[in-house]
Amino acid sequence: MPTPLGRTKLGLVAVAVAAATAVTACSSAASSGGSGAGGDALSAPAANALDGKGETDITFWHAMTGTNGETLKKLTDQFNAANQGKVKVTLAFKNNYDDTLSAYKNSLKGGELPDLLQVYDVGTQFMIDSKATVPAQSFIDVDSYDVSGIQPNIAGYYSIGGKLYSMPFNTSMPLLYINKDAFTKAGLDPNKPPTTLDEIKADAEKLTVKDGSGNTTQYGFGASLYGWFLEQWTAVANASYCNPDNGRSGRATAANFASDNNVKLLTWWKSMVDQGLALKLDSDTKNGDSAFVAGKDAITLESTGSLGDFTKAGFQVGTGFYPKINASDSGGPIIGGASLWIVGKGKDDAHKRASWEFVKFLESKDSQATWHTSTGYFPVSKAALDTDVDKQWVASKPQFQTAITQLQHTKLTTATQGCLFGVMPQVRKAAENAMQAAVLQGKDPKQALTDAAASLTQPIKDYNDSVK
Amino acid sequence: MSRDDPSTERDVDVLSTVGNAEFTEGPPDGPVTLTDSAPVSPSVINRWNPREVSLTVLFLAPAVVGLGAFVIFPLFQAVYLATMGSDILGNPTRFVGLQHFEELFTPDFGAVLARTAGFTLMVVVAGVVLPMALAVPLSQRLPGMRVFRTLFTLPFAYSASAASVVWLLMLNPAMSPVNWLLQLVGVTAPGWTTDSGWALVTVAGVTVWMVSGFNLLVLAAGLAGLDEQVLEAARIDGASGVRHFTGIVLPMISPSLFFVIVTTTLTALQSLGQPQVMTDGGPNGATSTLVYSIFNQAFHNNNSNYGLASAQGLVLLVVGVLLAAVQFGVIERRVHYR
Repeated sequence: MPTPLGRTKLGLVAVAVAAATAVTACSSAASSGGSGAGGDALSAPAANALDGKGETDITFWHAMTGTNGETLKKLTDQFNAANQGKVKVTLAFKNNYDDTLSAYKNSLKGGELPDLLQVYDVGTQFMIDSKATVPAQSFIDVDSYDVSGIQPNIAGYYSIGGKLYSMPFNTSMPLLYINKDAFTKAGLDPNKPPTTLDEIKADAEKLTVKDGSGNTTQYGFGASLYGWFLEQWTAVANASYCNPDNGRSGRATAANFASDNNVKLLTWWKSMVDQGLALKLDSDTKNGDSAFVAGKDAITLESTGSLGDFTKAGFQVGTGFYPKINASDSGGPIIGGASLWIVGKGKDDAHKRASWEFVKFLESKDSQATWHTSTGYFPVSKAALDTDVDKQWVASKPQFQTAITQLQHTKLTTATQGCLFGVMPQVRKAAENAMQAAVLQGKDPKQALTDAAASLTQPIKDYNDSVK
Repeated sequence: MSRDDPSTERDVDVLSTVGNAEFTEGPPDGPVTLTDSAPVSPSVINRWNPREVSLTVLFLAPAVVGLGAFVIFPLFQAVYLATMGSDILGNPTRFVGLQHFEELFTPDFGAVLARTAGFTLMVVVAGVVLPMALAVPLSQRLPGMRVFRTLFTLPFAYSASAASVVWLLMLNPAMSPVNWLLQLVGVTAPGWTTDSGWALVTVAGVTVWMVSGFNLLVLAAGLAGLDEQVLEAARIDGASGVRHFTGIVLPMISPSLFFVIVTTTLTALQSLGQPQVMTDGGPNGATSTLVYSIFNQAFHNNNSNYGLASAQGLVLLVVGVLLAAVQFGVIERRVHYR
């Protein structure tokens, strides 16, 4: 039997090992390696790059699940069948957007890079700074590809300095959703969704229902404290989310959270919760969605991507434009979603060209019509909306017409293009912290927004310094 | 646990006796001999004999390589990274000295440490007391107890993320079954994940639920191994009820109890899945514990601040070692090994 002393030492070692293993996780991912390819790796090859090369196999990293994933598979099979012996696309599912980007980052440090990858909107500036992709503009110039067919507001997000860096693919927009049955029951016009904070409040007062013992069975309003929404309110107010100029004219250096509009918004939101007119929700949109579908609140905010699930609820769902903070606000919402990036680093001309051919196929009006009608994502191609299959679908889902009208009404400005930051995912999270602090913790909205913006100063500076 | 089990130790003794017997008393041409030339008595083997040294190195190598690759090297790597600034991919690019450690002396990081301490305390206290309270009645030899024991042990089989998702649904603000039950008995449910006071308790509660299964298993095994004769002697001497439990049972299962406390402390200290999935550190950082903070700096939201994350990782190491020193130096003195 070991002595107590021996046991103690053993135990200490065991604990040290356990703690050190936790440290391992941080360091193992940080090992460096990999070398850059030549500068011309990042320019587009000519149209004949595939000639005489036999079949070129390319890998596409994506993060599409469920119906979206199945539709992508269907489109890919269609492309492969039409390009037999020339190009073969292999899909590689990477769980979600964050994991896709992490995998890409690790491959850049020495690993197998994909030929094509899907990256979320907030990863745009980072992808440019990773300096390993061929800008879509480069292919567009070589091919004289006509970009006028792409919805300008969608292309706008991914255009920096007039150059389109990636091809938009799955695109969504925020909408205001209402429970029409609840509106009718409350004596409100179900075809007139609220358009401003004041109108939401006025409707919510009529929509809030309590049972005999004073418990609220239906709240007038309820939306997740999702950081994306703050970006949307700001764009609808036609204001910049980050300075200068939403990062569209040069690197953004500061988040512009503590604007009067945002203070007004969070003050309003907090008072809605305090007065029992709004359901207290966290930042998890799944919780927000299930609350709306369960009839727990009658007005909510969500992306167009949730329309499919919402229409399966046991009541009539109506849609309206994303609301304004002030009635005079003249902007419009920003598109979200993800885009397609063609990797150039370590790739020969045939692979780059093959990726582009596949991207062009996905952008075509027929592919986009299939994509739109199967998944609910907004079609990137203008012409897709005019195809028969798309027209029928929109006729059967009139709620989607709101999204189409909303996009067409939105002027393309630096405000509605959206903010570009290398650390945009962190910025979105910081905005969420400010929203939670003001609405859930009762912190002064101005202070909450100022503190959140201040917490980003160092990460923004570090990022900008390291890409100089 | 086997080290505390007398039967195992006895087995080991028997085995070693047999081994020695074969070695020393076996026939010269028997199957068990260490050298191929003349038989050598073990007492005269030269420790620095090249053959012995190479054998020693050979046997030690797997352990040393494993320890080196997965513990020692990463530890030095963490120290190195903690002094480096990184580029956007996380590659260390420039020496920044103690800057990352200076960044730890902020009220924010102080709050992270305080939160981690509170969280760990909640999980350890509830995660040991609760299974103990369940294990005592479960150790009664009654029909059907096996079924209950299995049921109560099941949470052990859940991964952190699965358990978190299940509890997220249970506590969903819109249609929570838990809230519904509370309402039936006239209690207004708190904002489980939205109220900053409750969020940490909620995440700790789910962690308790997760560790309880395993702890119950260990404590129940400890109780099942109690010596009936000792218990009976105590009863004859007049010990009963609380006195019987605190004076006799508790000291006798103290090795199990100590083991459970140490493992639960480490589990709580290293919890990541629960705050990540349930609250994402929110509301406004109210559930951001030390490991969540490390994850956040290093990997979350396309972050790759490995320098600061490594510095925080070293803090975790120090905290872990300090806690272990306290546990092994102070608490273990009160543990009775038989």
